[in-house]
Amino acid sequence: MKNDAIVPGKPLDSEIIARIVAPDDTRMPPPEVGEGLKPEQIEKLKKWIASGAEYTPHWAFVPPVRKDPPANGIDAIDHYIRQRLDRMKLAPSPEADRPTLIRRVSLDLTGLLPSPAEVDDFVRDPAPDAYEKLVDRLLASPHYGERQARHWLDLARYADSNGYTIDGARIIWPWRDWVVKALNADMPFSQFTIEQLAGDLLPNATLEQRIATGFHRNTSFNEEGGTDAEQFRVERIVDRTNTTAAVWLGLTMGCAQCHDHKYDPVSQKDYFRLYAYFNNCDEPTVTIGGSPDLEKKIAELQAKIAQLQKVGDQPGVDKTKAEIKKVQGKIPSSLVLKERAKPRESYVQIRGDFLRKGDVVSPGTPSALPSEKGQTRLDLAKWLVSRRNPLTARVVINRYWQQFFGRGLVETENDFGMQGSLPTHPELLDWLAVEFMEPKAGTPWSSKRLHKLIVMSATYRQASHGRKDTDAQDPRNLYLSRQTRLRLEAEGIRDAALTASGQLSRKIGGAPVYPPQPTEVFSFTQSKHPWPESKGEDRYRRGLYTYIWRQSQHPLLTTFDGADAQTACTKRNRSNTPLQALHLANDPAFVEFAEGLGKRIVKEGPADDVGRVRAAYRICFGREPNDAERERVLQYAMSLPESDRWNAVGRVLLNLDEFITRE
Amino acid sequence: MIVDRQANTRREFLNSAGVGVGTMALASLLERDAMAAPARKDPLAPRKPHFPAKAKAVIFLFMAGGPSNLELFDPKPELNKLSGQKVPEAFTKGKRFAFIKGDAKLLGTVRKFGRYGQCGMDLSELLPHHRDIVDDVCWLRGMKTDVFNHGPAKVFLSTGSPQFGRPGMGAWVTYGLGSEADNLPGYVVLQSGPRGPRGGAAIWSNGFLPSTYQGVPFLKGENPILDLASPPGVDRKKQGDFIEAVGDLNKLRNAAVHDPEIETRIASYEMAFRMQAAAPELMNLKSETKETLALYGADPAKSSFANNCLLARRLVERGTRFVHLIHTDWDHHGGSIDLGKTLDNICKEVDQPCAALVKDLKRSGLLDSTLVIWGGEFGRTPMGETRETIGRDHHIDNYTMWMAGAGVKRGHLHGKSDEIGYNVVENQVHVHDLQATILHQLGLDHTKLTYRFQGRDYRLTDVHGNVVKEILA
Repeated sequence: MKNDAIVPGKPLDSEIIARIVAPDDTRMPPPEVGEGLKPEQIEKLKKWIASGAEYTPHWAFVPPVRKDPPANGIDAIDHYIRQRLDRMKLAPSPEADRPTLIRRVSLDLTGLLPSPAEVDDFVRDPAPDAYEKLVDRLLASPHYGERQARHWLDLARYADSNGYTIDGARIIWPWRDWVVKALNADMPFSQFTIEQLAGDLLPNATLEQRIATGFHRNTSFNEEGGTDAEQFRVERIVDRTNTTAAVWLGLTMGCAQCHDHKYDPVSQKDYFRLYAYFNNCDEPTVTIGGSPDLEKKIAELQAKIAQLQKVGDQPGVDKTKAEIKKVQGKIPSSLVLKERAKPRESYVQIRGDFLRKGDVVSPGTPSALPSEKGQTRLDLAKWLVSRRNPLTARVVINRYWQQFFGRGLVETENDFGMQGSLPTHPELLDWLAVEFMEPKAGTPWSSKRLHKLIVMSATYRQASHGRKDTDAQDPRNLYLSRQTRLRLEAEGIRDAALTASGQLSRKIGGAPVYPPQPTEVFSFTQSKHPWPESKGEDRYRRGLYTYIWRQSQHPLLTTFDGADAQTACTKRNRSNTPLQALHLANDPAFVEFAEGLGKRIVKEGPADDVGRVRAAYRICFGREPNDAERERVLQYAMSLPESDRWNAVGRVLLNLDEFITRE
Repeated sequence: MIVDRQANTRREFLNSAGVGVGTMALASLLERDAMAAPARKDPLAPRKPHFPAKAKAVIFLFMAGGPSNLELFDPKPELNKLSGQKVPEAFTKGKRFAFIKGDAKLLGTVRKFGRYGQCGMDLSELLPHHRDIVDDVCWLRGMKTDVFNHGPAKVFLSTGSPQFGRPGMGAWVTYGLGSEADNLPGYVVLQSGPRGPRGGAAIWSNGFLPSTYQGVPFLKGENPILDLASPPGVDRKKQGDFIEAVGDLNKLRNAAVHDPEIETRIASYEMAFRMQAAAPELMNLKSETKETLALYGADPAKSSFANNCLLARRLVERGTRFVHLIHTDWDHHGGSIDLGKTLDNICKEVDQPCAALVKDLKRSGLLDSTLVIWGGEFGRTPMGETRETIGRDHHIDNYTMWMAGAGVKRGHLHGKSDEIGYNVVENQVHVHDLQATILHQLGLDHTKLTYRFQGRDYRLTDVHGNVVKEILA
């Protein structure tokens, strides 16, 4: 290019104008891609350059500023939501009834159904702070951490196996337990970030802090024969780079692996500078509970593998790997990151090909964002959660919003770049982001505090019923004149059914378990994996604890849009399919839940049929059936012999849309 | 399910598929179905393509492991002459292989070839039945892929990316077009061979698309879909009563909350109920004539690739959009899986049924609207790999596939490799080109069939792919 693209005040010296009017094949856009700009469009551009070519930077790259609403007793969330609704002349919905409210907030915070007694307590509580007490109780529940951890596991692409085609077992559930614990303890998100990205680099790192680095050990690992080890090591670093950008920055850095980003100010060099932060890791296993002998043995075997790999002795490598697994099986362990003493050199990889080395790069943050001089993962982690970074708090807050409303204030929760959608309520997003980082009172970066702020708002507490009067103006409910009915996530469906069945195990943490699944699941993949069906309590654990074989996940997860554990899943799909119907109606696990529910109806309900229908509804939905519902259930119940009547009713209720929906 | 296939015309039969034994409860349910039929509410309801389509359905005969083009389709006299010599360095410089090292020697083939049909295609003695369809098929003898390990390469062929986690081709197609079938899945996966394919579910995954579009891997036996059978003690009438009660209660709830998702949920349950009848009926190959069974070499009492080919035809007849047959294991490195007996056997397993499928579709007229594709994730090297027995390594620079039906040229040879079968020298078709062409025949523009995920409009062909116009009739 002869000139700068844009020379303010001088349209004719600006390359951009030269190119869009060029008569030859330098014209932009090229003819095969699209028609040229219209004369009036070109005039407009020229005028804009002539008048100084001023433009504001992309909103998400400017640090958020807190703008407090007037102190009139209405909290910030409701203020900003209503301000917008007022402008559209839309009225908010009334507060949902109490049974709906407690079912909603319980499912959102702990993922479990409230018991009929808990519903009664709340419905009858005359205290003005009845709802707040409920929220505080749920936030303090140990099940809060389980429910919130699953969102984080989605982002971390958590699984209990290595992925790719062999998909061998791995042990990393101690990291999952670390997440549950950290969320229950309301570890500030800043610390939560630092320990997971760089816990090993903290001074006097504790075992827990090293386990935390398992976040980036959740990458897939290719064990297939005849693979190039360096190729797949590079793929893991690429995955870590992309995941970090998606989870903390809400940026689609992956585009820049092969070329400068087409839309965002992220160059390929920027990409490999971020990559360089992760390029110096070794990938060891830590033992938990101290078994130095076994750990030493593993280290020896790992050294042996390296040697065997050098001489290309694949059978030897496989044998030794199997030996390692055996030894590992004896001790609780977890996968972690460890900085290498001797750093690897990082290059720009030309067209994303690791064999084509371009310029050498050193670690650095994307140039469009405030720069960071530090060269370690710890420096990167601290930078991500520093006040200077305009993105992290917004991105995190936005995902929290998505959890509670089904959609973020920025709908493209994974793209805060130029191609992403604009926030529907920019001032609210920024207010929440700053309140997260620098609260007027309370702990900075407290997720529990933020969750409480959201669920306490009148906006959250609205009824979710569809409204004819708003449909025309806001058919997608972007402006929140009501709550939204949301189908539960795969694990949530299991957990709700387990609660209703009375079979739920409330045990927290530990090795993954094997609830019943059809044996045919493994006929679809190369490797047949063990599935020693759990007995006793472990059969009824929450969905969070089901063993995840990446390539042959439990059918509940694949049928109900579970996270695929390949890349960071920032949002679950909510599909609605016949296979889901077959699963809920016929799967042996759900039939077992229905039987549990049937027994519970008989045991906990009164002896009369009407009373039992009411009890069933209260267990499943927290509410009473209306007359038509009661009659329809009775009609069905009475058509069946008494022996399986209530099991069958239980089966119907577990299959209702309302059961798998948070209203 | 009582259906006398012979007694009905196909149209009548299809209209009645899914209709169970009549009962009052079922009758009312099915009446509702009939009323709902013109405007299906389920997310798989058929959608219009970008432009008029030649193909309504695709049957992908996926030969997992990488069949050796040099033993089947691409005779190389020069390679036979040079057998045992070191491969000229010009070919291997800068290349990476899965198992063989730089000093690998060229390996000729012992298989005999002949030229067949008006098109004069070369076929080895291993594929005698293919001689019958040689002029119905378009031969792609210049295939090229990018990835040399099985898992990633299979996923690449199906999803357009070697990274796991993207939607498979069938998922893209049903996402684009929905499915005509309202009582069977729109994207079905049928497997045969000694084990599941490397790559597993990633091959037919919905990836980031809603699970509506995921491939449904069929199980062996009467109930091919997980959880298809009603629980023990629940017969068809009881299940009908159950579905009806669920539907009625869902409707009552919808009267209070007004959510279109509930209508979809009701439609999903009704479709599931129809599937419960239609899928066992589909699987019952005994309703086929003896002559048809013999054509395929299918035996209703056993499961086999031949049965799966016949099932593929039955699925397409019933409106399924994409049928993915996966047959393992073509990974003939030598050792326990070699280019001798093992190759003989697998060719026997697939040769007749593949040819039968083309013939059968042709005689019923379905070939005009059904695209049949045959091939693996890559080919095999001209260099031999010597384990205990003879084999070849994975080869990405040249291999052979074939396509038939739905507007693809018949009896056409496209592509040519060099004298030792190492590189393509004429009319190369890259995997992305193949994908673009398949979508094109379905009336879909591969650059426009996109899905926004992580801030990017993803497509099957990534940022590549050209429709191979030269092979279109």
